[in-house]
Amino acid sequence: MKLDPEQESMLNGEQGQTMSLAVRTLVEYGRAFSAQRLVPIKSAHLVGSFGALPYRAYYRILDQCINAGLKVKVLTTINPRPGHDLNLLNRIAFARQNYLEHKIKQLGVMLNYSCVCYDQDNIPAFGDRLAWAESSAVQFANSVLGARTNRNSMLIDLCSAITGVTPEFGYLLDENRRGKIMVKLKIKRMDPSALGFIIGRKVVNKVPVIEHYDFSRGDLKNMGGAMAAAGAIALFHVEGLTPEAPDMKTAFAGDSPESTITITQDDLQSIQAKQPDRAELVVFGCPHLTYQEALDLAVQFTGKRIKKSIWFCLTPEARVRFEKTDHYQKIRSIGIKVYSHCPLSALTVQLRRKKVLTPSGKLFYYLKGAEYATVRECIDVSGVA
Amino acid sequence: MVTLIGKGIVRGRGCGPALVTQMPINFAAAFAGITSIIPGKRAVMQDRHHEFFKKNLRDTVLVFPTCTGSTFSGMVLMQVMYDHEAPAAIIVQDADSLLISGAILADVWFNSGIPVVEYNLPDLFDKIHTGDTVEVSGDTGNIKIY
Repeated sequence: MKLDPEQESMLNGEQGQTMSLAVRTLVEYGRAFSAQRLVPIKSAHLVGSFGALPYRAYYRILDQCINAGLKVKVLTTINPRPGHDLNLLNRIAFARQNYLEHKIKQLGVMLNYSCVCYDQDNIPAFGDRLAWAESSAVQFANSVLGARTNRNSMLIDLCSAITGVTPEFGYLLDENRRGKIMVKLKIKRMDPSALGFIIGRKVVNKVPVIEHYDFSRGDLKNMGGAMAAAGAIALFHVEGLTPEAPDMKTAFAGDSPESTITITQDDLQSIQAKQPDRAELVVFGCPHLTYQEALDLAVQFTGKRIKKSIWFCLTPEARVRFEKTDHYQKIRSIGIKVYSHCPLSALTVQLRRKKVLTPSGKLFYYLKGAEYATVRECIDVSGVA
Repeated sequence: MVTLIGKGIVRGRGCGPALVTQMPINFAAAFAGITSIIPGKRAVMQDRHHEFFKKNLRDTVLVFPTCTGSTFSGMVLMQVMYDHEAPAAIIVQDADSLLISGAILADVWFNSGIPVVEYNLPDLFDKIHTGDTVEVSGDTGNIKIY
């Protein structure tokens, strides 16, 4: 790999031993993928926001960075908090939360605690090179915004933030951004999250190009999140909708697809809960609900009673705005809980597993015992007209 | 003995019984349950969607197609290597950014990485079977199956 003089000096330890380790990490990482150089990034997004007890190696690296006086060199945002203040068990499991937040702040990270950073605090432009982690955010930045980031791991994100560079390979390069798999749809009732889940399973780690469908921004977010959990997809295109796919020909860069798959209504049906009515808790917001999504969802519950526990999980910023609305007062009054922590981490730590139902393909994948249903069904199951 | 020539991605040598799956692995789901904090059980697969559910991956030569899922994976892998409870080596069909990150982070920051070799020919799953004794060199990319 060819380094410029500044990068060379960081690697040689002229800016301290810790900086040298951070650059060496990126050089080795890039070398594994035959990257030719390290390139500057516009922003970083970190996933290391859970102060869980066992992450000892992570804390050692953080301490080392802070002792060396390192700060992030580019705009850097961070993922949601865990439910550390929700109950005693969570307070124990995330006992390092205060310590962690203090350290992250010292590094100069913007403490936005959101997994949808692209909605508010860290909005990339088309073509921007980034070093993001958070599989769902990587997916959105690449696919919907046309920015360029690999699926960087936690700590690779930090090494990039404090050095301001990322190795140039993978989704930073034109040739890896073109479509590989054609996805045809035979679907009567669209369910973007379930579609994402099935595409993730079937396509695993290639670039799918989905036949035109007029997905909303929220649909793309939820579909992408599910794709990146059930699979390893970092970039998808939707014909005539996403920026690098004005038409099929452009999306495949003139080549023909490696293969074509067809997703049917039965495929979507295969992950639906058999008895959604048995749910005790219905969770919305994984990835986080945006302000607009929360409003749209709240309208569905207005004037109803609920017979289940219901959580809305919004970004902290969106939650503050949402709490000023009438909709918020109305849903609060019927007992809906509005949080801004990560529902997955909060619900992983509990003594008795609640029966969780969610329209999030991502939460369904990760949370033991969780069941999946469409947004419509989740609303119907939780509310009485 | 059969020798396969792969691409050495992370340095070091490792030997152990092969544990082979054709299902991708999501390490963030695999090593992130409550039991993952118990010494000796840190590498027990917790992902209920995976065929290795409840199996301990420690000291095996793990053979699988690629990683899926969360970008937590690199940290989770680094931690299990830091705790010396990781597989002895990894042979992967399609090396991905998360797997590689985990092993590189453990190697660069703590000198406790494990060898990783990429072998992307389709005969991988015909040549290696669960239980075979396998020796892996991340330096040369050589895989020896006894």
